[in-house]
Amino acid sequence: MKSIAGFLLAALVLSALAFMLGSYQTDVYRKLLLWITLALSYNFLFGIAGQVAFSHFTFYGIGAYAMVILLFQVGLPLPLAIVAGIVVCVVLALVVAIPATRLEGFYLALATLAFAQLFIVVLNEGGSVTGGPGGLANYRLPDILGVRVTGPWYTVVIVFLLLGTLAVLWRLDRSWFGRACRAVRDDPQAAQAMGINVTTTRIVAYAVTSALAGVAGMVYAFVDNTVNPPIFGLENSFLLLFMVIVGGSGRPAGAIVGAILLYLMPFFLSPLIGHHHALVFGLVMVAVVLFQPKGLIGIWDGWTARRRLT
Amino acid sequence: MSDFVELMVGAAASGCIYALVALSYLLITRPTGIINFAVGEWAMVAAFGGFLALSRFELPYPIGMAIVLVALAVVGWLTERFAVRPLVEKGAPPLAPILALLGMLVVFRELVSVTMGPDPQPVPPMFGYGRMELGMVAGSYQSFFIIGVTAAVFGAAWYFFERTLAGRSFEAVAIDRRAAALMGINLRRVTALAFAGSAGVAGLAGLLVSPNVSAHYLMGLPLAIQGFTALVIGGVGRVEGALLGGLILAVAEQVTVRYAPIPPGLAQGVPLVLLIVFLLMRPTGLLRARESRA
Repeated sequence: MKSIAGFLLAALVLSALAFMLGSYQTDVYRKLLLWITLALSYNFLFGIAGQVAFSHFTFYGIGAYAMVILLFQVGLPLPLAIVAGIVVCVVLALVVAIPATRLEGFYLALATLAFAQLFIVVLNEGGSVTGGPGGLANYRLPDILGVRVTGPWYTVVIVFLLLGTLAVLWRLDRSWFGRACRAVRDDPQAAQAMGINVTTTRIVAYAVTSALAGVAGMVYAFVDNTVNPPIFGLENSFLLLFMVIVGGSGRPAGAIVGAILLYLMPFFLSPLIGHHHALVFGLVMVAVVLFQPKGLIGIWDGWTARRRLT
Repeated sequence: MSDFVELMVGAAASGCIYALVALSYLLITRPTGIINFAVGEWAMVAAFGGFLALSRFELPYPIGMAIVLVALAVVGWLTERFAVRPLVEKGAPPLAPILALLGMLVVFRELVSVTMGPDPQPVPPMFGYGRMELGMVAGSYQSFFIIGVTAAVFGAAWYFFERTLAGRSFEAVAIDRRAAALMGINLRRVTALAFAGSAGVAGLAGLLVSPNVSAHYLMGLPLAIQGFTALVIGGVGRVEGALLGGLILAVAEQVTVRYAPIPPGLAQGVPLVLLIVFLLMRPTGLLRARESRA
């Protein structure tokens, strides 16, 4: 009951914020919310299920492209396009996951890295279907029940996407499945001995989180009203990994802190060092791995624990 | 026919570059189990070193090359000293050094982009731009130079691992870390040497490839992926595997670009598909690691 009230309050505050912003701030705010959504689901995949995958941002791209292609090239109505888009993401996630999760540790990272690069190649060579290097543009969200959802109201849609993702992951994390994921992450052999089906757990974790990334991509398709290959490049998959590690992997709060920090950092750094904020990202990443393996949220944990003692 | 032979000479040269990058991974992975994506960035740093030494200061090629390679070995050793050793000594999980090196990848790339600018810079080849013909076999001077140097490096690597005590100690660490440490092998020194050697080899790859592609701060990651593909094809356990994998990858790449009826953009996908197929079908590669011998 308490958590439901918390969710409602968060929905209210985040939505209210949407109505107070100008158009530039709205753009920044929307993308911040999307990054937090992605970091949350990637946190489940990397931090809780322990899979180093570089395909998360690719599924965001697949969702966005699937939405635009299904709506405007195939001509499906919106509800059908949403369902079909989710099906596309899940099917592709299974195609990648069923063979790839057999791979141990870092080999999964490589297979997904190759998959991510392959996606960009296909986008560039997709001809009129994907729009090639220029991508697809000049479309807008179809009316929903005769209403045009624009401006702050679309931001509210993103707020619900974020909270929906959080709720799904929260529920999963606290179920037997979340515990199974942690067990498989920490010691696959011990997990197997406890009667957990390691392969199925890995595949389901990968497919669910990838589908969540895909849904976020479907929402993103109408934020910039354009999709093109550079948006979904490898850089952003790295950034997602950095966000989760800097914030504190395995903790939803960590993912949120990491996403907010790394997304907003360039805005504060650019007056000082121009476009070289990626250098700071790298240094922060190395420093966190070396000195604060639990991430920034670990500092907070240590601080509250110490206060409780005194 | 002569067209095909010339294609093969070019493929062999780029295969040698992939093989050197693959060897650079292997030198670190074999004794430590760490997969270091920053090898591509080391190659990139060396390419810019080549630009500084050979184009800016116009040093003679062998001297410039030696300076760059020594500098790279130092860079590799420093990377190990400050980004990897603290983690190993703390007993951090095996993923931690890999993530730290992933961060170092970004640090190297952005440092070069900040100091050298985002534009590609020329690096001269060893014997100038020319074409050599030996009967049917024809190709650029640089191609033959790359093939010769790579053959020498792999010969030296083979000799090192098979015939010298230091090389055997690498192999011992690869087979069983604890046992090797108990036998009096200094793990810390092996790791430091592995990183220095790996950076040197990666630097050589970057220096050799840079006359063909120019030094550019984004050249590292593609090289890292191609090198890893070569390693996966050939097998993570053996030095010869790196060479074999590099050559197979380059030939597959060049042949599809030239002969396959698909657009050239899509041909870029060939190494990626090859990587995925090999990871799924035969993750140990073509050549299996040698088991410990009695």
